[in-house]
Parts: sequence; C-alpha cells; structure tokens
Amino acid sequence: MSAHFIERPRYTCSLGGATFAVNALPGGIPILHAPAGCAGSFAWAQNGGSALQVGGNCGSLSIPSSNLQENEVVFGGDARLRQQVKNTLDVVDGGLYVVLTSCVTEIVGDDILSVVKDFRAEGASIIGAKTGGFKGNAYHGYDILLQALFKDFIEARKPKRRGSVNVWGIAPYLDPFWRGNLLGVRRLLQSLGLQVNSFFAGEDSLEAIRASAEAELNIVVSDVYGIDAAVAFEERHGTPFLATSLPIGPSASSAFLTAVAERLGTAETVLDAALHEGNRTYYKTLEALTDCYQDMDLQRYAVVVGDANYAVALTRFLAEDLGWLPELTVCTDQLDGEEQARLTARLDQVKNVAANLVFETDGSEVIGHLNRRWPRSQGQRYYNAFSPAFVLGSSFERELAQAIGAPHLSISFPVANRAILNRGYTGFGNGLTLVEDLLSAIVNGR
Amino acid sequence: MSSYDQKVAPKREERLKTCIAHSGGVCGMGRKAKACMIDDGERGFTQGSICLLLVALAILNAMPETVVLIHGAVGCGSCAHSQNANTRSGGAARTGQVKDAIWLSTALNEVDVISGAEGKLGQAIREADQRYRPKTIAVVSGCVPGLIGDDIDSVIAELQPSVSARLVPVHCEGFKTRIWATAYDAVYHGIGRNLLTPRIPEAKRASLSREGEQAALLEQEKLKRTVNLMNVSSMGRVDELELERLLQGLGLEANIFPVFTHPDTFHKATRAALSVSTCPTHDDYFLRQLQEQFGVPFLIKRMPIGIRNTSLWLKDIAGHFGLGATADRIIEAEEREARAALEQFRPLFEGRKVFLSAGEFRALVTAQLLEELGFEVSGIRMFHHDAFADDEYDKLAATAKTDYSINVANVQPFEEANLLNRVKPDLFLGHVNGNSTAAKLGIPTHTIYNTGLAYIGYRGAFEVARRLHRTLKNPAFNRNLSVWADLPYSRKWYEADPFSHLHSRGDAL
Repeated sequence: MSAHFIERPRYTCSLGGATFAVNALPGGIPILHAPAGCAGSFAWAQNGGSALQVGGNCGSLSIPSSNLQENEVVFGGDARLRQQVKNTLDVVDGGLYVVLTSCVTEIVGDDILSVVKDFRAEGASIIGAKTGGFKGNAYHGYDILLQALFKDFIEARKPKRRGSVNVWGIAPYLDPFWRGNLLGVRRLLQSLGLQVNSFFAGEDSLEAIRASAEAELNIVVSDVYGIDAAVAFEERHGTPFLATSLPIGPSASSAFLTAVAERLGTAETVLDAALHEGNRTYYKTLEALTDCYQDMDLQRYAVVVGDANYAVALTRFLAEDLGWLPELTVCTDQLDGEEQARLTARLDQVKNVAANLVFETDGSEVIGHLNRRWPRSQGQRYYNAFSPAFVLGSSFERELAQAIGAPHLSISFPVANRAILNRGYTGFGNGLTLVEDLLSAIVNGR
Repeated sequence: MSSYDQKVAPKREERLKTCIAHSGGVCGMGRKAKACMIDDGERGFTQGSICLLLVALAILNAMPETVVLIHGAVGCGSCAHSQNANTRSGGAARTGQVKDAIWLSTALNEVDVISGAEGKLGQAIREADQRYRPKTIAVVSGCVPGLIGDDIDSVIAELQPSVSARLVPVHCEGFKTRIWATAYDAVYHGIGRNLLTPRIPEAKRASLSREGEQAALLEQEKLKRTVNLMNVSSMGRVDELELERLLQGLGLEANIFPVFTHPDTFHKATRAALSVSTCPTHDDYFLRQLQEQFGVPFLIKRMPIGIRNTSLWLKDIAGHFGLGATADRIIEAEEREARAALEQFRPLFEGRKVFLSAGEFRALVTAQLLEELGFEVSGIRMFHHDAFADDEYDKLAATAKTDYSINVANVQPFEEANLLNRVKPDLFLGHVNGNSTAAKLGIPTHTIYNTGLAYIGYRGAFEVARRLHRTLKNPAFNRNLSVWADLPYSRKWYEADPFSHLHSRGDAL
C-alpha cells in the first residue's frame, strides 16, 4: 500500500457518493455546486463501475450543477448558486432537492447552507450537505448525505413506533447490487413482521423517510458505511442502532435475524419460524446441486477482494455456508484504525476457516499478499498448490485470477463486466443466487 | 514566443473564441457563425457536464506503458473506470493483449488542502516509477492543486533527473476553462514539450554498419510516404483500419498518433511527410507545432465520415502528394460500390427526420452522412462552436429542407428535451451519456460515438446504415421505456422557450 497514492481508487469522492445516494432517493434531485466536470466524472464512474447502471431519474449529465468557473472562484459562488437553485426549482420536478458542495466551493468558502435556508423559508423542499471531494471517499459522502437527511429532512417523532425500523449501510451504485441487496434485507426484516424504511429501495417513499424518526431501531448492515450517520441519528432523534455485517446467505442471515430479534424483543416463535422458513427453503433448493457439487469437486480455495461490506460478508458466506476455503481476504477501502479493528473482529468470528484479513488499497499488490500467505512452488515434486482456486473481487481482479489460473466473479466496485439491475446477494434465497453465479463461472466452458 | 514555451496551454475560449451557448437556424450559421464566437455569457440554469480532465484522461489512459497520476481529490479520475473498457478492448484489438490502464490518485485530503501537497506528489511520482516501471508518467492536475497553488511543473522538473520514466505535466484544472476541448491542447502541450525527442539521443547511438546505412536509407524513403494520422481516441481500431486501407491505396503509410502508440516512438511524428487530422476539433494546436518546429505540413479541413466527406478527405491528401489521378480512380470505385450497397436500406430511411448531437464537427459530418442515407436532418446540437466547421454549415444549408435548429450546448439535456418534444424526430443520434433524453421520450436512438463500432470512411457509412436499419426495425426498447420512465422536467419547462435560459447567467434574481 502506498502512503502517497491510491491505485485505481474503487470509489469516487464524497461529492460523488452523496450524488449517487440522492439519485437513488425517491424524488431526489441533486444540485451540485461544483465545476462542470464533477457530474460527468460520476456518470463515467458509474458507467465503468456500477455494472451498467448510470444515473437514475435525474442522474448522469442531467444533474443540475452550477458549473463554476474562474469568476466564481475569484468572487465567490453564492449568487450563482442562488440563481441555479431558483431555476432548478422551475425547470426540474422533484420531491427533495439536495445542494451538494465540491472541492472548489469548500475552498472558496461559499455559504451554501444559508442559501438553502432561504429557499426552505420560502417553502421549497430543499436541504444541503457539505461534501467537498477532499473530505473523503464516496462512502463518506453517502454517510454525510444521510446525516443531512436526518438533520434537516426527517421530522422529530415521539414516541417510537413498535415494530418500525430503519435500515441502511448499502451505498447506492457503489454497491452495484444495491437494489437487490436492500430488497433482500427488507425481506429478512419483514419476515420478523417489522415495518421497514430503507430510504433507497423501490418500496420507499419520501413520506416514510420523513416519518422515519418514529423507528424504534436503526439497523446498519455495515461495519463502516453509515455508522457516523447512525450516531448522529441517535443523538438527534433518540433511536438506537445495531450495526451488523451484510447478511449474505443462510448463516449470516440467521445471525442477523437473531440479533435484530434480540434487540427488539421479538417473540421467539416469530424468530424461529423465520429462521426455519429461510433455512429450509435455501437447503431444499440447494439439494438439487448435491450430485454435481460432489462429482465435479466444486469446493475451492478462494481469495476475496472487496470493500468493507463485501470483504467480510463474502468470506463468511464461503467459509460457513458453501464450505469453501477463503484463505485471503483483502479490504480495499482506506479505513482508520478503529474501523479496521471492527472488521478484523468480525472476521475473527467466522467459523470453519481461520480468515486472514489484509488492508490494501492497491489491487496490483494483492498477489504479493497471496504469495506471502501461500508460498509459491519452489519447483518441488509434490507441491501443495493454492488450487483449485476462485477469485471474488472487482473486475480489476481479473488480472489476479488470470495470474493464478482461477475463475473470477466481479461483485465489489468496479463491476465493469456484468449487467446488474435487480440482482442481490443478501438474505437466504439470494445466497442461492450467489451460489449460481460462482458455480456458473466455474462451469461456463462445460 | 510559442505557446509551447509556457507551462500551460492557452484555453480555447481565448485562443479560438470558442463558445458553448448559442441557438440559431442552419441556413444562417455559415455566414453568422462567427458572430457567436464571443464571450457568450452562458446559461443561468445549467446541468453538469464534463471537463477537460475527463477528455485528457481518455487519451492518456490509452497510451501504452504509461502511468497516469492524477493530482487531485479522489473523485477526479473516477471517469477512468469507464475509459478502462476502451483501454482493454483497444489494446486487445491492436496487440492481442488485454491490459487494464494504470491510473493513480494522490487523493488529496483536508490536511493536503491546508498545507499543500507538492511533497506528496513528489513521493507519489518516485513510488509509481519504482513500482510500475513505466516509460511515461503523465501527471494530471485537477481543480484542487490549481486552488491551493501546488506547482506541479517545479515538482516534475526537480524529480525528472532521478526517475526513469519521462514525466509529462498535463494541466486540467476544470474550473479554468469551460471548453473541454482545451483538453486536446493540454495533452498535446505535454507531449509536445516532453515526448517528441527520442528517449535515447541519436548522436549517442553506435555508428551504423553498411547494412545499417542501407536500412536508414530505406527508412528515409518510407518517411517520405508516411502520414501522421491523428487519433485522440475518437476512432476505434476498426476505423483506423479503414483509413489505413485508403491511404495504402495511395501508396501511403499511416503513423497513428497518439493513442495506443508507444510514447517512446512519438518522435517519429516529427519526421513524417504530412499530418492529417481526422477531426478538426482536435488537432490544430499540435499540427501547428509539428509544422513550425519540425516542418511537417498538415491538413485539417475534413472529417472522413460519410461518402462525400471521405472522398474529399482522401482527395486533399492525394493532392498534397500529387496523386490526384490515383485518388480519383479509388474514389470512383469506392463510391460506386458503397452507394450500391446502401440502396437496400433506403426504403426504411427515406424522408425520416433525424436529430443529432455531438462535438461540432462530428455532428455536422454525421448529419451529411445521414442525408446521404436518405434521412432528413431536423436539428443539430453541438458541444461547442468555433471556426473550423464553417464550410460544413454551408454544405448543410445547401441541402436543408427546412431552416432547422442549431443549438450550441455543452450537453444541457433540458434544452434538448424541450426541443425534441417540439421537433419529434424519427431518430436521434447522440454522444456518450447523451442518448437517454431521447430514449426516454421514446425516440429510436443510436450512439454517434463508440470506439468499438465503425463510423469512418466508406466502410463506416455502410456499417452506420446497417446499425440504423437494425435500430429502426425494432425500436421497442425506447418505446416501452417512454411509457413508464419520465424525464425530470416540469410541464412548465416544456411550454417555455427552449432557449430561455441562454445568456441569462448573472442576471439579477
């Protein structure tokens, strides 16, 4: 890992992450207070990384943007922003307008929040967030956007409503499977009889988001993404939160439901029924694979390369559900010490295989980590090779897969070589989808 | 003093008086065009677009054995995720090998913004040089270094003696120019100042043997027939092959420059007999340098899209070499065969209205191609306007059935939605990320640019026709989409004058 650069960053900046999230909000219209190129950069990042999904209803090059030039850098951009917001309200129909700042406006020091406040005073549905690109990566921008929603859009609600929960932790477009994964998590929670608001799923609405402070629990299906927002929510609205890993497959989904039920005091019979139904359906379906899985010897060693969510969740699925051997897990996010400790603790709990977690932003270094973990052949006659193997990662890991002669599946951003719209891996049934995708990559030459 | 003596290439709004905000009819454009080339004040409502950094990275990421080091916040350069697909497929088409581009970001953070990041950049260059051992490192600066005052040229000058890669600064501070075509000048500026001399100075090479002398003589002969064929990534390999084929018909050899060409061979461009642009929007800055510094003459009048324009392009080159008669024979045969092949598609195309949007030159010549195929042009939007395409307006005006709309805009799909809603064309051709507006309105669309597809030359004309025939045969995707997917614009906007936000920037609220 270099201390001075990031190789092919697997995310964009905080402005980008916030823009992606507003694109995914029902009725969300981003207004970028930024130079012209930021919107295009995000559209092209989605084009290359989000498995062929670009934009949303007002995404890509349709995003309203003040397109700052030298003049605004010298004299300030407040007046230009005011004009842009006024015209946006005229030209573009939306449910919630979100002004987002860029590097340029943060450095110049434009006071966007007072501009936003003035429009809100006139009755516009508008909030703002300070997302200057140098403040962090896109996952951080996702968190900042949530914080802005919690602060300025959702209404204070007391008392809390029993059985009502909010869930987040899956960043739209940065997780190319965001729609399917949100839906998978919703289905899990609904199996406990809960009413779920998840902000960015097709079933969500601005009305439900506005009322989301009535939830009795916030569930963050990530150890990193949206944690700061959960803390801010609790401070402002008094709703506590539960952070879990992304529940992929039957083991993680069972643990997820058990943890949620415990926090909410859900009746044991309800939990047991949900666990039974989820596991039974998964294994009744998997049953059909039994012959081929054995006869074709489909167990694999694996390298998992992914963001903070996928690195942990995929490793656990392979080790606990599929019975594979994930010998090396690489998390490609830039994380602070505390975040790294959280992920390490999670992986330490994974059963069946002693996981080996490395934090490395640069994809080309992964093979070095693998060689240190699993020494290469010295030319000995009997060499216990890292084979047969499989590489789960982003599309950059094709090079690694080729180098070690293994099949490969792109799951974590960037996913350039798959088309994803509705697919998700979270929950019980979606675990089967992951099994299908992994094994299909092995047998596609058959 | 040449602008190449400066650290930064001039911006096009100053150098060429390029504008991005204008509306008019096609018939007046040829005469009036120059009137728009003033400080055009811009729109009071704008949508995000691209900046020169994206375009520059598209070129640099397609240079072999080159590491692109972006000095900026971590989001500048995320466009490369999309460009990497071109690097992979373009590399495969030319070398048979699939390789990812290597781009790095200094990912400037709050501390860097406050204390400056020249030190970080220097260390990043050193580390990139050691880790990847590239032949070239392009150091591309985004907005932030421009704002905090990092001097990338000084960092590079200081480091160059101690690293093995050749370092090329490319200035892409997005807020400094609203004409993203400045990117071509920015990249050529970096190449022109740093990569046109051989890596190993020729004087130091061992003296030639007898065979070597003969080879050198043959090389000299070859150079007299070598043409620099400029491609800053607007053509895929399939299009290059078509132009190489046509040049070979004249006995000429193409030296393709600069994409997918090894930077260590860039100096060859300085020895060619002629440089030929394939898109006049791209190359004038560099072609002038090649002429002034190295005496290589150039042609920059045509883009070889469409039958007639391909023939004119070829004729100009042949004329330069005194090969007019050969060219006439080639053109006669090529045109006859192509026109005959196109007849089969004509019944589906005849009289259908088409609307186009792209870079100025590409849009105007593709419009002429579509007229050749039997379509009627009903509107053209272009990303900017400058003086290079004046002749093309005259050609279009001569054949126009109506005085259709010409709209200069750096994309701005809100104007397009309003216009398309009025014009209701039967077909739309738009650039990258520029087809979704028409698609959601239910109009059959086809991409006007994609480096995997053929557009150029006689072959390109036929392939475009073939694809449009396919598009029009079953336009159900867009038609179905339009029933359920809305554009984000208000009803009030569709009723307003499509150009009511032109020239309103800075107006009092």
